[in-house]
Amino acid sequence: MADAGKSEVLQGTLDLMVLKTLYAIGPLHGFGIARRIEQVSNGVLDLNEGTVYTALLRLEQQGWIASKWGKSENNRRARFYSITRQGAKQLERETANWERVAGVIERVLRLERQG
Amino acid sequence: MRKLRMMWAKLKGQAGQTRAGEAFDEEIREHIALLEERYAAQGMSAAEAAHAARLQFGNVTALRERQRARRGILAPGEWARDVRFGMRMLAKRPISSAAVVLALALGIGMNAAVFTFVNALLLRPPQGVRSPGTLVDVWLHDAKSTGVQSYLPFSYPAYADFRDHAKSLDGLMAFDGDGQQAIWNHSGTGKVLHGELVSGNFFPLLGVQPVAGRLLTVDDDALANPHQTIVLSDAFWKQNLGGDPGILGHTLLLDGAAFTVVGVAPPDFNGIMVGTTPDFFAPLAAQALFTHDSARLTLRDSYWLIVAGRMRSAGDRKSLQAEMHLLANQDWIASGRKDDPLDALVYPLALVPGPFRGYVGAFTDGLLFVFALVLLIACTNAASLLLARATGRAREMATRAALGAGRARLVRQMLVESLLLAAIAGAAGIAIAWATSRLLLQLKPAELPITLDIPLDWRVVAFAVAVSIATGVAFGLAPALRASAVEAARVLKEEAQTAGRRKSRIRSALVVAQMASCMVLLAGAGLCVRSLWNANAIDAGFDTHHIALATLNPGSLGYSPAQVNDFYTRLLERVRRLPGVTSASYAEFLPLGTSRSETSAGMHLGKDPGASMVDVYRVGPDFYRTMGIPLLRGRDLTAQEAQSEIPDAVVVNEVLARRVWPGENPLGKRLALGGEKTMSEVVGVAGNGKYHTLGEGPVAVVFRGALPAQRTLVVRTPGDSRALLDEVRREVPLVDPLMAATQVQTIEQYMALPLFPARTTGWLLGVSGLLAVVMTTIGLFGVVACVVSQRTHEIGVRIALGARRSDVLMMVVSQGLRLTAIGLAIGLCAAFAAARLLEPLLYGIGANDPATMITVALGLTAISLSASYLPARKAMRVDPSVALRYE
Repeated sequence: MADAGKSEVLQGTLDLMVLKTLYAIGPLHGFGIARRIEQVSNGVLDLNEGTVYTALLRLEQQGWIASKWGKSENNRRARFYSITRQGAKQLERETANWERVAGVIERVLRLERQG
Repeated sequence: MRKLRMMWAKLKGQAGQTRAGEAFDEEIREHIALLEERYAAQGMSAAEAAHAARLQFGNVTALRERQRARRGILAPGEWARDVRFGMRMLAKRPISSAAVVLALALGIGMNAAVFTFVNALLLRPPQGVRSPGTLVDVWLHDAKSTGVQSYLPFSYPAYADFRDHAKSLDGLMAFDGDGQQAIWNHSGTGKVLHGELVSGNFFPLLGVQPVAGRLLTVDDDALANPHQTIVLSDAFWKQNLGGDPGILGHTLLLDGAAFTVVGVAPPDFNGIMVGTTPDFFAPLAAQALFTHDSARLTLRDSYWLIVAGRMRSAGDRKSLQAEMHLLANQDWIASGRKDDPLDALVYPLALVPGPFRGYVGAFTDGLLFVFALVLLIACTNAASLLLARATGRAREMATRAALGAGRARLVRQMLVESLLLAAIAGAAGIAIAWATSRLLLQLKPAELPITLDIPLDWRVVAFAVAVSIATGVAFGLAPALRASAVEAARVLKEEAQTAGRRKSRIRSALVVAQMASCMVLLAGAGLCVRSLWNANAIDAGFDTHHIALATLNPGSLGYSPAQVNDFYTRLLERVRRLPGVTSASYAEFLPLGTSRSETSAGMHLGKDPGASMVDVYRVGPDFYRTMGIPLLRGRDLTAQEAQSEIPDAVVVNEVLARRVWPGENPLGKRLALGGEKTMSEVVGVAGNGKYHTLGEGPVAVVFRGALPAQRTLVVRTPGDSRALLDEVRREVPLVDPLMAATQVQTIEQYMALPLFPARTTGWLLGVSGLLAVVMTTIGLFGVVACVVSQRTHEIGVRIALGARRSDVLMMVVSQGLRLTAIGLAIGLCAAFAAARLLEPLLYGIGANDPATMITVALGLTAISLSASYLPARKAMRVDPSVALRYE
């Protein structure tokens, strides 16, 4: 069903994106996180928005984010997620890791055809 | 650490599964609604917007499932599914399931039965009492002495001092520790009642509410002018007075005095000490009407009151204890005594008072240890059977794994099955505990005047549930891990033939553990049973058959010594004339009972450093012939000598005669007894016997007259003494209509008391040993049979290659025997260590008795031989062509 111009979300990267979003913007509800990722990706990512909640539960069980119920901007009940101190550390580690891997992949992809 | 954290989060999540699920649903709904709004704003129709929103969100049901799995260990629905599936799997193999359930139920049941007693004696607070947590017992303590003897109840003056000066208490109450027997003159016939003398503040402090009338008050218990009032127990009121409320205000004649009934205590209230079930409660100050001893309220060295108090608030025990130390010291100074001061110690109020809890606890702990071993054997058996099953289900597991079930999922399924087994066994175990605890209560000799309430309350049920869950996990975990560790591809491709060796290793270890525990239990059982035989064969020095006993106390009617003697003389005359009675006599009390009396015996009057302590038995004429004690020399006491106030004629036993006059004729010799003013003359020598315990060494004894009013009637018959009991009971009111006999029993029933420790341990260990043998036999049989079925192919090959049938038999049997030998070796070492704990209970046999140990070891070997012989015969008959074709 994905449009031709869209790419799948890479396995394991959704957690990183959610963490970073919460780190950058502060407390957000699930819908807001999905919107933010959509916005940043310029509609390139084919995000199954339900999976955001799987990521949120996973992160919460790890103790990297915390949640509490509150009122959304248009005054509806919503659950707000925020990053914890441990989560911030994890984000640092994961970011470094991602950059390393991405760097490797980039170098590999730049290899010229030889001979 | 991460894994642990996730596990914890899941466990926590499990509890709030439903609530979290609802919250999550709300979150999703909200999210989709927002998406819809957005699409609608972009100009889509409502239906289009809804469709687009769902598309963008993804599969809601799948997500919900995923979240649920992530959040907890099990979804509520999955629990039910696992349980249903588990039930089906158990029902598929009804026999082995039943075997596991039965073994576990016996194990759990026995432990719960013992725990019922722990609960009744040590954990349950007194019933019918307001906030028992703030109640305390106070005991006097003699630091010079050790053990139970170092704790003393209070004298009345000491109690009064403490009561009036203790500031950290709401009040201090007291009651007669021994209880009080009284004869109730019930329209002309006497009936023996049990009473409790209580201080006036007893009921108000305990916060007991009457079911009729009022309870005793401080007014009733005024020292100068005690009211003759009583409160009846609910049971007595209902059983003897038909629960008639009209009794209030009327009088009962107790020991000849009229007492007004003022009220009835509630049904669950039986006092605050274990074993008492009083018929009535009377004021302490009125005690002389029962005891005919008015000095008891003023004597400082008569210790008879159990004292309890209520703290102003719970948790004040430290400051209370400090105050009690102080009061004890002041009391000692005030008494002006020269002997050692007694301290006062505070304990939380319990049915078994603080100082004695340790002894009860040691006994029940020992029992729990024994039955924990039985449960361990049951567990290993269950584990062993489930392991065998797991081997059989390898294909099923492999299929499930191949279809995508994770290992955790498989472990869970297996654990649910074993927990199911444990749950069924636990329920059956509670039923077994109920029945056995009542049977155990029957072991108590009638002589012990103790009634014990053993309810199956929430503590017992909680214990049984905890034990069941623990056993379920204990015996289920190994098979579950084993079953789930399947290599699906390998198992599905080929049959599980080659895996046999490794799998049976755990089961072999289990059999070794079983054999070892079984050896320990059986060694203990063997020792106790042999000791019981010995104890039964011990010559008590008197005839333990053909004798009927009855206890009488005309003193409670306030008779003078002359009237008492007259009563007994007339009673004996009548009893002797009963058909089948050869002789009859009486004694103050009999040897081997709960009472004893000692005095010093020397050669000179006054201070005699050479004097030694001897036991004193006060007996009537014809006592020796009636009891079957041989009179070796001299003569019996005459009726006149026995009734005389100055008992100057005595009969000694052989031990005393030899000790004091070695090699001389003791007849006509004189003894100075316990500070008396005249010497006593030895007129006869009686044979030795056992006096305190069956296991004791020689004890020196003096028999003499001058009996108190309470005596035990001894009646001899050549036949069965049971036939005499009713007739003796009937004769008493014919002699005096107000008298009633208590403890009418045969000598065999009387002997239940000295034999009690040996009998109880013999029975309990015997039963546990029997259970252990049966379970171990089943376990060994199962393992060997399983190994044989796994090796059918191999055995077929061996036979095809020329192995003789006897070789196969040997091979299989020797495997069973090897396990037995290892188990026995470990068990023997443990048995020698454990037997030492039994030492004090054994008669005429050492704890390390080699004969018992060897017999038990040989017996177990024989049993294991036969347990492995049956499967071995099956192995021997393996037809190689069939076994090989099977491939």
